[in-house]
Amino acid sequence: MNARRALALCRRLVDELRRDHRSLALLFVAPVVLTGLLAFILREQAAPEPRAAVVALDDEGGARLAAAIASSAGDAGLVIVDLGSGADEAAARRAIEDDRIDLAAIIPVEFTADLLAGRAPALRVLTTGVNPPQDAGQMQALQRAIAEASAALAPPGQGVPAVRPTVTRETVYGSPEADFVDTFAPVFIGFFAYFFVFILTGVSFLRERVGGTLERLLATPITRAEIVLGYSLGFGLFATIQVAVVLTWSLGWLAVGALGPLPAFTVGLGVPSAGSPLLAYAITLLLALGAVNLAIFLSTYARTELQIIQFIPIVIVPQGFLAGILFPVDTLPEILQPVSRVLPLTYAVEGLREVMIKGADLASRTVQLDLLVLAGIAVVFVVLAAGTIRREVV
Amino acid sequence: MGTVAAPPPDGPAIEAVDLRKTFGPIHAVDGISVALPPGRVYGLMGPNGSGKTTLIRLLTGLARPTSGQARVLGTPMPSRANLARIGYMTQSDGIYPELSVWENMRFFSALYGVRERAPGLEALRLVELDDRLATPVSQLSGGMRRRLSLACALAHRPPVLFLDEPTVGIDPALRVQFWAHFRALAAGGTTIVLSSHVMDEADRCDELFFMREGRVIAHGSGRELRERAGTEDLEQAFLRFAVETGTGGGES
Repeated sequence: MNARRALALCRRLVDELRRDHRSLALLFVAPVVLTGLLAFILREQAAPEPRAAVVALDDEGGARLAAAIASSAGDAGLVIVDLGSGADEAAARRAIEDDRIDLAAIIPVEFTADLLAGRAPALRVLTTGVNPPQDAGQMQALQRAIAEASAALAPPGQGVPAVRPTVTRETVYGSPEADFVDTFAPVFIGFFAYFFVFILTGVSFLRERVGGTLERLLATPITRAEIVLGYSLGFGLFATIQVAVVLTWSLGWLAVGALGPLPAFTVGLGVPSAGSPLLAYAITLLLALGAVNLAIFLSTYARTELQIIQFIPIVIVPQGFLAGILFPVDTLPEILQPVSRVLPLTYAVEGLREVMIKGADLASRTVQLDLLVLAGIAVVFVVLAAGTIRREVV
Repeated sequence: MGTVAAPPPDGPAIEAVDLRKTFGPIHAVDGISVALPPGRVYGLMGPNGSGKTTLIRLLTGLARPTSGQARVLGTPMPSRANLARIGYMTQSDGIYPELSVWENMRFFSALYGVRERAPGLEALRLVELDDRLATPVSQLSGGMRRRLSLACALAHRPPVLFLDEPTVGIDPALRVQFWAHFRALAAGGTTIVLSSHVMDEADRCDELFFMREGRVIAHGSGRELRERAGTEDLEQAFLRFAVETGTGGGES
């Protein structure tokens, strides 16, 4: 044991890192910036007031309850949207599908009859089912309005039978039992594809630049377009396999019977997918193509593999916060929303949720827009990438 | 692939007209004019930083000159199409360590548009790696990697070959072998330009270019240069020319 030798080693490390300004910045500045961003989002996050409709299928008590809910909506933080007279459950579903409302309370025909018979009337609430935590928050607001309205209709001590409706939640998409896994699986497919393809390409292209093979590659008649296409095809192939594996794993639910001493078990996450896995794949592939070319572009700004890894907190992590993965984009602080709108992951996440949870197909405007924007972003990154492969001979 | 003008029948294989390349205040190549007839071995001799690699990059079109012009086989560089007729062995090996010997050769052959296996196999036979086709490059010795790097530059049987420090770090026996290859290729009509900072290789070249501070300070055969400098030793000759041209002595 010689303290001098250990100290010499320590000093060497300090000398090395002292000169690596980027690593220093990452070490000390990145945590501050990232936690700052997260804190800003969490503190300033403001969900827009949920838009609710009340559909009373019963003209007497039901209609009175609907009116009472409407008048107590403001206190509960709800915006009541009038679907017009004679609106029925189908109209409410359509309104949710068209994103005119977030949720709807349905008051059944038997409402007055149940009330008179002393039975608790059964109300149903329709939510989207896309994002369970968000649904739960909106449902709470509506339940507060219902409770307040019920109390207003039957003030204590006036001989009016108390209105204590039971409320059950139903969903337009997915199922009311959908859990976190079911709604986040589509997002993870996109996120992982983006993340791993970025790292793989970044390291691979950096080696090409640093190892002298790029110089040699450029001394052959290959064009820049061929290099970018070749890389996109190569890592696109791996992205394809990865997405296939993750999709199979997520959607699969394979029950394996007891085998000898092994107990029965199941394989896969058993996440339901309402839409076409092929469309989900197309969205992910466009995202991955963008990631390949972004990585080629950024590899210019790295000299070592460590510096490629350092792009993770800069390129990947903020996208995790801002792309609508954890926090829906329209609940983000207003100044951050435009940032979300230029991130490729935002569109992939939206598209994957549309397809896998809502069962949207190519006819959906949202899916069309998502595919278009992802393709556009991929093209921008291709151009940026090609611009960094320098040779005087084009 | 674009069209490439046929080289003039008796014209030089490689030509430079007042080539200059500056990086900020540094004149990496400072007005070099040469005309090199085909089928010979040319040596760029000079210390590190004398502009040898930059000159090669200008001649291959990997860098664009600040002024002046380079022509290879009659075609002005940079020309992508012309690269199919040029072989370039970079100073670093420029081969893929994860791939096997044959996979590297297959890759570079494909980039040069060579579809047959024969030329690649022949190049590997030349450097005596044809019995290690499946060996990963990461398991090869440094000398073997250098040989593979040379073979990859020969895959398309280029009439013009640029070799940047081809014999650095290889053992004397291999160096003798390399030189036998170079002489055989030149005898077959290949024009070879190689760089070196080892003077004892100079005598194997047909013509030498002494380089210092981006300029050619003397050129001619080894014998001519010795006679002009009045020394028995090329190293001494180099220093004399350096002093005469005011490019300083020392360092090399």
